[in-house]
Amino acid sequence: MSVDQARILAEVAEMLHAIRDDAGVDGEITMATRFQDDLEMESIDVISLAGRLQVRYGNAVNFAQFVAGLDLDSVRELRVGQLVEYIATALAGTEAGDGSADAGLGRAGLPA
Amino acid sequence: MSIVRANGLSVHMEQLVPSEAGSGAASGPTAVLIHGLAGDNLASWYLSLAHPLAAAGFRVIMYDLRGHGNSERPPEGYTLDDFVDDLAALLAVLDVTGPVHLLGNSFGGTVAFSYAARHPERVAAIVAVESSPPTAAWFERVARRLDAAAEHLPHDHVLARISAERGERASRRARVAREVLAATSLARDLPASRLPAEERIAAIRCPMLWLYGGCSAVVDLAPEVRRLLPDARIVTVPGQRHSILIDQPATVRDIVLSWLRRDGGVHPGPGEAAAARDGRDQPPSPAASH
Repeated sequence: MSVDQARILAEVAEMLHAIRDDAGVDGEITMATRFQDDLEMESIDVISLAGRLQVRYGNAVNFAQFVAGLDLDSVRELRVGQLVEYIATALAGTEAGDGSADAGLGRAGLPA
Repeated sequence: MSIVRANGLSVHMEQLVPSEAGSGAASGPTAVLIHGLAGDNLASWYLSLAHPLAAAGFRVIMYDLRGHGNSERPPEGYTLDDFVDDLAALLAVLDVTGPVHLLGNSFGGTVAFSYAARHPERVAAIVAVESSPPTAAWFERVARRLDAAAEHLPHDHVLARISAERGERASRRARVAREVLAATSLARDLPASRLPAEERIAAIRCPMLWLYGGCSAVVDLAPEVRRLLPDARIVTVPGQRHSILIDQPATVRDIVLSWLRRDGGVHPGPGEAAAARDGRDQPPSPAASH
């Protein structure tokens, strides 16, 4: 995990604690933490990250694009690490000035 | 999560800016997406039409209805007027002044239509999925469904049967519906709603698309929609049920976007090149129009 990813993971973990109000959050949130099985999050809770991500990262991180193609089930099956990797790639793309925020869901290992 | 105060409640809303963001995001059309009752929340729209609409140049606003999703859940206050008041208050808070495109799923379509009946000048177009205008026939049906849900869902064997017959997703939605119905006066309040007169319903003139699943009981209401609103476009997708929005998001997306381009006063945005090849002139899916 890169320094950038570690920083983003810490920020996302903070958002998750706020959304879950620490309910269902046992122990440390890592890249391997699963929204559904480990955090007991419903799809609406995962979607609720969108506004917080928008406030923190602005339009560089397109959460709607990240979840495009997922449904109410598969969005809950995501791992925290997949989101962190997407954010890191989107931010790196913005800094590189190529304007592309498409991290490629394949690389993030999303369920089909 | 974005929480705003509207009509005295904490309302969870999410917002997407058009894909060509940064360049005059405020000037494009605005779409407001309204979900259905009890088991539903804004995730249904977020995962289906939100991103495609943003790619088509819309500012997209979604919110959880009172008592639903991550919005506040007051124990009482669930008549049609309450839901319409909430929508009007939310748009005021967000400073949305121009005519909006309203998209509603199931009862969300009824909220959209009722808002248009109250403020016809503020609505550019309506897309209603598995829905009806606020007619007495529709409210009787919704009341029966809510009564049945309130009676049966508290029993665990009913949830187990839903899980076995319709799958885990349907079962989870039923569990959410059980919580909403147990904690609120929704099932009592909604049937007591004050409904607009038929003349006011028939007076709505904005472009409208009514989309139904061919295997849903709600499609029975389509003839009444045609009688009241002869200029409306009605599309039925064979083989689909009431949950068509979450079951077949790609089909709904294609029908809605092609209708918006043709009849809804929307031109393809620059971020939409890929979508345009889907065919702008006809729904690419096997849908019957009538």
